[in-house]
Amino acid sequence: MTGFAATGDFLLRLRHALDGGTDLPEALGRAAGALPPPTRDQVRTAVRRLSGDYSEDEWGFDEEFVHMLEPLLGFLYDRWWRVQPTGVENVPAQGRALLAANHAGILPWDATMMGLAIQREHQLPRYPRFLVLNWAFELPYVSVAIRKFGGVVASPYNSVRLLEQDRLVVVFPEGAKGAGKPYNQRYRMQRFGRGGFVEVALRTGSPIVPVAVVGSEEIYPKLGESPVAARILRAPFFPLTPTFPWLGPLGTIPLPSKWRIEFCEPIDTSAYGPDAADDRALVLELSEQVREVIQGKVVENLVKRGPAFV
Amino acid sequence: VAGRRVLITGVGSFMGGTLARRLEEDPDFEYVAGLDTRRPTVPLQRTEFIRADIRDPAIAGVVSSTKVDTVVHNQIVRRPGPGMSGATMHDVNVIGSLQLLTACEKTEEIQNIVVRGSAGIYGAEPHAPQFYGEAMARLYPLRTRFQRDVGEIENLFATFSRRHPEIVCTMLRYQPAIGPSLDTQFARYLSLPMVPTHLGFDPRIQLVHEYDALEALVATVRRPVRGAVNVAGSGTIGLTRILRLARRVPLPVVGPLFNSVADTLGKVGLTDLSPDFRRLLRYGRGVDTTRLVEEVGYRPRYSTPVAVADYAERR
Repeated sequence: MTGFAATGDFLLRLRHALDGGTDLPEALGRAAGALPPPTRDQVRTAVRRLSGDYSEDEWGFDEEFVHMLEPLLGFLYDRWWRVQPTGVENVPAQGRALLAANHAGILPWDATMMGLAIQREHQLPRYPRFLVLNWAFELPYVSVAIRKFGGVVASPYNSVRLLEQDRLVVVFPEGAKGAGKPYNQRYRMQRFGRGGFVEVALRTGSPIVPVAVVGSEEIYPKLGESPVAARILRAPFFPLTPTFPWLGPLGTIPLPSKWRIEFCEPIDTSAYGPDAADDRALVLELSEQVREVIQGKVVENLVKRGPAFV
Repeated sequence: VAGRRVLITGVGSFMGGTLARRLEEDPDFEYVAGLDTRRPTVPLQRTEFIRADIRDPAIAGVVSSTKVDTVVHNQIVRRPGPGMSGATMHDVNVIGSLQLLTACEKTEEIQNIVVRGSAGIYGAEPHAPQFYGEAMARLYPLRTRFQRDVGEIENLFATFSRRHPEIVCTMLRYQPAIGPSLDTQFARYLSLPMVPTHLGFDPRIQLVHEYDALEALVATVRRPVRGAVNVAGSGTIGLTRILRLARRVPLPVVGPLFNSVADTLGKVGLTDLSPDFRRLLRYGRGVDTTRLVEEVGYRPRYSTPVAVADYAERR
């Protein structure tokens, strides 16, 4: 009841303001005084943002935007995926670090949930940045949202710059091969390419924190793919899942699997020095070591979790 | 120590004219010459105006007779103006640079050449690094006519600089400039009644304020460094935020129709959006300015967001 009354009052005030010659943004902001506090603040924030008064950093990360979407993300975290994080204390509170995780699917839900796990559980939380498959940056809207959440194009130049700015950077070393994993290959780590992420870690002296994510590989079960559609869209692959593309946009709703995220002990790379980045053997060895840790922890957490969807 | 002697090409443009005025007021510069076919629009005191066409081989004699130690090449056409064809633009850019270099070769006193080039050489690419370093100019193919012009100009100067190691050649790669007194493509775009944008895209744009655009040139003339140097305000800004700050109404257009909408704007005489600019509006571009700050020693006063806010306020 009060909700209706408040809305009515809001509309009346808005009309008064507009009739009196106040311009729309200011009228909205003033009329919002009639609304209960959380809604009032949301309306005022929206009005302020519409006048361009907000800030993004040089990468396009928009902390206020992330805060605004926190209710939705919180719902996904608590209710939809029931995320259970462990080992969050292994994420360094200060300085640079590279978080390497297993991955599936094009949309970086796993990176978002890792970020929220750090926000919720860490003593001194900060937002990680994450590298996203290049192709996503050609997609309308998706590219905008990814940037606002802290995603950047997966380029070693970007990761080096981010780490030199002493940030947390999430990488998915499986790359496109991981993103396009069929359902029956889930949780089997793909080859780590040429170990580019290790090179970046060595060059910038960043510790590598292996992260095992369980649950994320069931949200879009890829049963097959359509090479024709992929060629038309110039995409690396075009997935066919039980719901996509048959249900249209609804097909992009992820399935409610149960998640566990384990942050493992950091692997220090600073002792090798930046020149070690050119040592192929060392790079491959470290890369294999990280892969084994993640694969081991993924299996462990799969057993702990039990059935995927209940 | 005798004062410096400087020649500025393209002195008829706003940037060329203000640079001449800025150097005139500075007692360190003993002699300032300005070369152009157009009269300077900025009132000048002691600058010697040389009316000549940069494409004309005769400029070799003119330039060598001025006995300058520094040449500032400020005549690179970014967008063909009214009545200028793409071919003329190419001629001014490439043949003009070639003639200017020939002239420099014949001027014994020359020590520095500063080129006001363009960060357009990097292009605007969806998968590009967010900040291009100077070494990344050829990560992607040169797609537009302007890019190929800039590529050719850069090659000419790089070759010249290899053959004349005693001359310091600086290639300044400018991001698009913005400011209350500048009439650039960006300013024209922002003054449209409805501003076309790519539906669903919010490119990261990086700009340089007109004040910094000028001061970066002056700083480079004073302290030239070899090779390419990016020039831009720090940081980037989303196009959406630019439009909101400038209180413009966006007209979002789906990808395949964008070109026809932009062409229509040109046909009805509002403004021509160059192919480079169209790509910039979709994918954006940022550059790393460490070299400008640390080697040339110039730190831009306006960051990109502040430059936009200043433009929106004072326009």
